[in-house]
Amino acid sequence: MNAEQLIFYFFAALVLISALMVVTMQNLVRSIFLFFVTLFSLAALYVFALADFIAVTQVVIYVGGVLVLMLFAFMLSNKELLNSLEPIKRTFKLNHLAGIFICLSFLFILVSLIVQIDFSGLDWIKSAAPILEGDNTIHAIGMHSMTRYLLPFEVLSVFLMMALIGAAHLARKGKKI
Amino acid sequence: MEGLEFSGFVGIISLLVILLPLLSFLLILAGQKGRGADLALINISLTFILSVYLFSLLWNKQPFHYQIPWFLIGGIEFKAGILLNNLTVLMMILVSGISVLVHIYSRIYMKGDPNIHRYWAYLGLFCFSMLGLVISDNLLLIYLFWELVGFSSFLLIGFWFTRHAASQAAQKAFIMNRIGDIGFLLGIMIIFSQFQTLDISALFGDNGLMKESRISEGLWISGSRQIPEVWLSIAGIAFFMGAMAKSAQFPLHTWLPDAMEGPTSVSSLIHAATMVAAGVFLIARVYPVFDPFVLNIMVCIGAFTAFMAATIALTQNDIKRILAYSTISQLGFMVMALGIGAYSESIFHLATHAFFKCLLFLAAGSVIHQLHHYRDKLGLDFDCQDIRIMGGLRKGMPIAFIGMCLASAALIGLPLSSGYLSKDAILITAFEWAETRNGIFKILPYLLVLTSWLTAFYISRLVFKVFLAQPKLISREQTEQIKDAPNQMSYVLIILAFFCSFIAFSYNPASFESSWLWNGFSSASIQKVNIYHWLVPLILNIGSLGLLFTTYKIYVKSDGISIPDRNLLYRFSKREWYLNEIYSYLFTVPVEKFSRACYWFDRNFIDALVLKSASLVGVLSGITYWFDRTLVDGLVNATGTLAKWIGRFSRNFQTGKLQHYLITMLLVVLSFFILTYFI
Amino acid sequence: MIPLSHFLIISACLFCIGLYAVLTKKNAIQILIGIEFMINAAVLNFVAFGRYDKENGGGQLFALFAIVLAAAGVAVALAIILNVYKHFKTIDPSKIDKLKD
Repeated sequence: MNAEQLIFYFFAALVLISALMVVTMQNLVRSIFLFFVTLFSLAALYVFALADFIAVTQVVIYVGGVLVLMLFAFMLSNKELLNSLEPIKRTFKLNHLAGIFICLSFLFILVSLIVQIDFSGLDWIKSAAPILEGDNTIHAIGMHSMTRYLLPFEVLSVFLMMALIGAAHLARKGKKI
Repeated sequence: MEGLEFSGFVGIISLLVILLPLLSFLLILAGQKGRGADLALINISLTFILSVYLFSLLWNKQPFHYQIPWFLIGGIEFKAGILLNNLTVLMMILVSGISVLVHIYSRIYMKGDPNIHRYWAYLGLFCFSMLGLVISDNLLLIYLFWELVGFSSFLLIGFWFTRHAASQAAQKAFIMNRIGDIGFLLGIMIIFSQFQTLDISALFGDNGLMKESRISEGLWISGSRQIPEVWLSIAGIAFFMGAMAKSAQFPLHTWLPDAMEGPTSVSSLIHAATMVAAGVFLIARVYPVFDPFVLNIMVCIGAFTAFMAATIALTQNDIKRILAYSTISQLGFMVMALGIGAYSESIFHLATHAFFKCLLFLAAGSVIHQLHHYRDKLGLDFDCQDIRIMGGLRKGMPIAFIGMCLASAALIGLPLSSGYLSKDAILITAFEWAETRNGIFKILPYLLVLTSWLTAFYISRLVFKVFLAQPKLISREQTEQIKDAPNQMSYVLIILAFFCSFIAFSYNPASFESSWLWNGFSSASIQKVNIYHWLVPLILNIGSLGLLFTTYKIYVKSDGISIPDRNLLYRFSKREWYLNEIYSYLFTVPVEKFSRACYWFDRNFIDALVLKSASLVGVLSGITYWFDRTLVDGLVNATGTLAKWIGRFSRNFQTGKLQHYLITMLLVVLSFFILTYFI
Repeated sequence: MIPLSHFLIISACLFCIGLYAVLTKKNAIQILIGIEFMINAAVLNFVAFGRYDKENGGGQLFALFAIVLAAAGVAVALAIILNVYKHFKTIDPSKIDKLKD
């Protein structure tokens, strides 16, 4: 096992552990901050997948935008919770049982599928030339988004604008929806 | 006036004769209440005039017979029609004539009765049915009118139906007549099965089927048909039974005295002059059907009835009851006369009797009527029909007295009266007949003579007690205040009195052979071959006069005879031979007991059965109810409950919570996975 | 060189954790976080497979699109949450059960 793998598994473990803690944590503020950790380590995993630009974007958008947004929303909605951060009494509910059951069975299905499939044997993976370390992916992304994926790119930009206007409209004060 | 035109003309007149009274009946029923009396009188007068016309046309002429087809049964055609022969036209004139007189009489007699229109209607119905009975040419039609006569008699006897006695008497008369009707019907059936026709002229005419049928070797043969001989006798007895009931002969006579509960004018018309003669008329109509055996029975019953009724009349105190028994007695004479073959004598007596008995009743009626008024005026209380309280009415009521005397003379058979002719004719014939017989039949004529003397006694007792004897209840001066009835009634009495004399029937007061009426029925001319023709009337009248004198002595000069009440014979007569009691014991009581037994049986068995089946049905329906409730409803309810449970169960998924929906969704996806990959 | 299946397994685990959060959490924001986890799992898959698509660059580009979409979704979702809070005074989805009949 070399250093690269070591770091990868470290970050992978970090992602999974922090994600588990996010969902099990009773304190919302802490879970949001742990969410930040998860996203950050995910960005590291992207780097291992040779998608450095995606990793950067992940950090910028999620850590810089979404997380802040969530904190604001949380603080706007849960003033009481902020005031008293006592943990809510843990209750074992049928809901949780069902949720856990469903998650585990999905996990089982997915993992068993992944294990069964021999990816290196797939035709399109075999025949494809993989991205190598040192390739200029940012250049490729720029070229593709302006040529091959121009239409989704433009549609996405319009959609983004609509989402922003919609969010602004929904969050506007004084007028009930 | 020959041929078809003539027959059509006579037919229409005959139809008018019977339909006019029916018209008055219908009109009065239809609402002509106020004019009932006039309507009835006009109609019956027209009937009488037409009858007289028919009589003048047809008396001693060829019988008139007119038929139309009535209906068809199988291959046998029934014909309805009119048969007018001597007997018919005589009866017609008799019925309508007396009806006219009684109608006139009733105008006064029934005055003031609140239901008078009903009276006129019933009288119309009676005249219609009686005249129809007389002119019908067919046994079935006769039976029809026979029943109608019985029914109208029932209505008239029960005219004052609010009186218990009257309604009882009406029922009694009706039931007694039903017994006779059964006999009549049986006779009709036997005749029909033997001859296949009910046409009287075809059956009993001069060359009719009856004459041509013969009896040989115990069989009664008519054409190709033959039945045992005994059926001939049975048919005769059956017809005679019908006549017995209508003409009040011995076993079936008890209804007639009770029928006196009706108005006196009705008694006079129906129960003295006309309806009771219907039995005799029937015997005369079907005369050929009677074989010697039945004729002998007829003789015995007639003679016995005559004697029995006379003995009963001796002791009765009700004026109308005496006359009723007298009627029975005289009808006995007629029946007996028919039995001995004295057909024409019998009809002759029927005619004379109709007049004098009618007169007797109407005179008695006027006495009753006047007494009634007198009683009401003085506010006294006594029985207007009881002869014991009467007496000395001769001064005040000369017309009633004279009428009564004349009628009594006729009833007794004194010379110069009509009764002398007819009654003596019967007696003479009876003696002649008895000569050829032996045994008990020898005695019968003497019994009749005895009966005649008894007649003389009871009727003179009646007359003397009512008109001549010392008044019992009130003083002589007061008695003389009771005057004769109003003129209309008196005129009727006078007219009838005329018909009680010999003049109306014969120019020779001493010889019935010279009577036009007798000659109308008797074809053979009879010579006075034996001594009976002068001996019998002589003995009879001497005896009667003697008895009259005795009665005069007893009831007018002295204070009557006192017979101890315990005297057996007296009580026997007074209680009418205990016949009512015997009938009650023999028939009424057993029938009542039987009915009680039936009632008990019905109560305890049939009702119980019904109740049991009712409870069974109850149990069954209970089971059905349970079944329906538990199984059928249960099934329905189960379906409903199942649907409810399913609904409630699936409602659990509709919590409104997003996460639950999501869980459900994912479970479905999972199950798809499982189904796809692991199964 | 990390094998593809390892990325996929990590992504599956992350997806299931997100699913668990979505199914069980009592706070709309935590549910939103769960959703983000699931989107990120998908993005991780895109990126992992994108290694073998150098010519078209589809994996990385769509990962980029997905991130942008997720961001827009979060913005809208948070706006909705705020409105829901204004309306119901709670953001517990189990208490908002107006859909119930």
